[in-house]
Amino acid sequence: MKVLYIDTSLNYLYAGISDENDLLIEIQERLEQNLSRDAVPKIASMFEKTNIKPTEIDKIIVVDGPGSFTGIRIGITIAKIYAHSLKVKITTISSLEAMAISNDRASYFVPIIDARRGYVYSAIYDKDMKEVMFPQHMKLSLLEKKLESISDYLIITNDEIKIDGIKTTYKPNILKIINKYKNRKNINPHSVNPNYLKLTEAEESRISSDRKAN
Amino acid sequence: MIEKDIYILGIETSCDETSFSIVKNGCEEIATVISSQIDIHKDYGGVVPEIASRNHVKNITIVLEECLEKANMKMKDIDAIAITYGPGLIGSLLIGLEAAKTLSFIYNKPLIPVHHIAGHIYANNLVKELQFPLLAIVVSGGHTELVKMTSHYKFQKLGATLDDAIGECYDKVARVINLAYPGGPKLDKLAKNGEATYKLPLPLKDDDYNFSFSGLKSAVINLVHNEEQRGQEINKENLAASFQKVAIESIIIKAKKAIKSENIKHIVIAGGVAASNGLRKAITDMGIELEVDISFPPIKYCTDNAAMIAAAGYYAYKDGRIADLSLNSKSNDKLC
Repeated sequence: MKVLYIDTSLNYLYAGISDENDLLIEIQERLEQNLSRDAVPKIASMFEKTNIKPTEIDKIIVVDGPGSFTGIRIGITIAKIYAHSLKVKITTISSLEAMAISNDRASYFVPIIDARRGYVYSAIYDKDMKEVMFPQHMKLSLLEKKLESISDYLIITNDEIKIDGIKTTYKPNILKIINKYKNRKNINPHSVNPNYLKLTEAEESRISSDRKAN
Repeated sequence: MIEKDIYILGIETSCDETSFSIVKNGCEEIATVISSQIDIHKDYGGVVPEIASRNHVKNITIVLEECLEKANMKMKDIDAIAITYGPGLIGSLLIGLEAAKTLSFIYNKPLIPVHHIAGHIYANNLVKELQFPLLAIVVSGGHTELVKMTSHYKFQKLGATLDDAIGECYDKVARVINLAYPGGPKLDKLAKNGEATYKLPLPLKDDDYNFSFSGLKSAVINLVHNEEQRGQEINKENLAASFQKVAIESIIIKAKKAIKSENIKHIVIAGGVAASNGLRKAITDMGIELEVDISFPPIKYCTDNAAMIAAAGYYAYKDGRIADLSLNSKSNDKLC
């Protein structure tokens, strides 16, 4: 079974192709503003280098967020167009799940993505990847409070987050991610969509003004 | 020898319409699907870029599927993929771009970058083959330009607006008299029933091909303000007619000058404001007076659509304008 992994949610291109228990090729590259330009050609180059045809892929695993809104959309668009067109099975995982599962040697895993203005996207997983705190957009101060009740936790982040605890930068273990999630339920490609965990500002201010009016 | 038919898949996501289309040989529309988000954005009084981007992602495979089904074609029947690379809302453009690049990669089909305005000009080719030298009057929410073409896909800018675009000006004037978004088409309708009784200044009377609409916009705002202060009610129909008369006249003056000195054979109108009845009538009259061929895009192709991108894409393809997979979107880019 050949699996294509795509994650563009964190200003990086994290991508790989696996065949059964082997990771044939991977990319881990910080692309920032160049993500929209470089994601497709770099993914295409993985196929070229491994001499695999796009039709040979059996399943796509794509990260659906949270993270950079534009970044998430790039990966999701590539993955859903690919899966829909070539009738490839597809499933989604969250960036937070990917960050947590790529690490070990702690009792709890706390992936954190900066959401600016004192907010973060975070979740807490135990060592069996069970959600102790579900993925959410939250105040950093609230996360700090939640962490008071657990010990032996590892924070995983690519961002400068002012928070106590042992921290590690995120380096995805793509083979581990693929093996953990390759049998996750398939989704109709039309329904593969970003999971932003946050409304747009326009929607938020409309809701708050509606509330005031009521 | 009979040339092989060329089928281009066009993709357009530059603003709030998700559209796919298949066009044969640059002139024959096979199928077009447009998913408009206008009902979503009107609650906000205008297009919200982040909401537009989110909806493009949701719609992208559905619109592609519908287009292929409507055409009864498969991706293997397509010769090349034409994509609006810019200008437009960057977040929106990127969805179409990534879709186009992915299709180009997985099916190994040539990728053709198309400028949005080239698309609007080529919407006319779906009605009547372009004749050269041609003058394109580009009138939209973001553009007011006179573009000359001496052959296919060769664009030369004669002049452009120095400030606001005419469509932008329509929308702003519509807002001043409390017409709901999108106000431009409503203003055009009102103008039909009104008379040009309000005096407004004719903008930019000079010798080149440029336009200016910000002065006209300010004059309308001042006029409404002054009338309100005097406790006089504005006659909206008459104000709309007065505004439209001056706005259109300034375009006609420059267009006439271009037709005469550039030896123009064919005039085409391009862009959202090409749907304006007032403008269509004025340009038709000008065509008769100067004995020049005129064509308008069908009303359904005045707003953003992928048929025009596929039509333009055919000529770009014939001209060898093929991009590799590192093509990027550009929110701002000049046609010429």
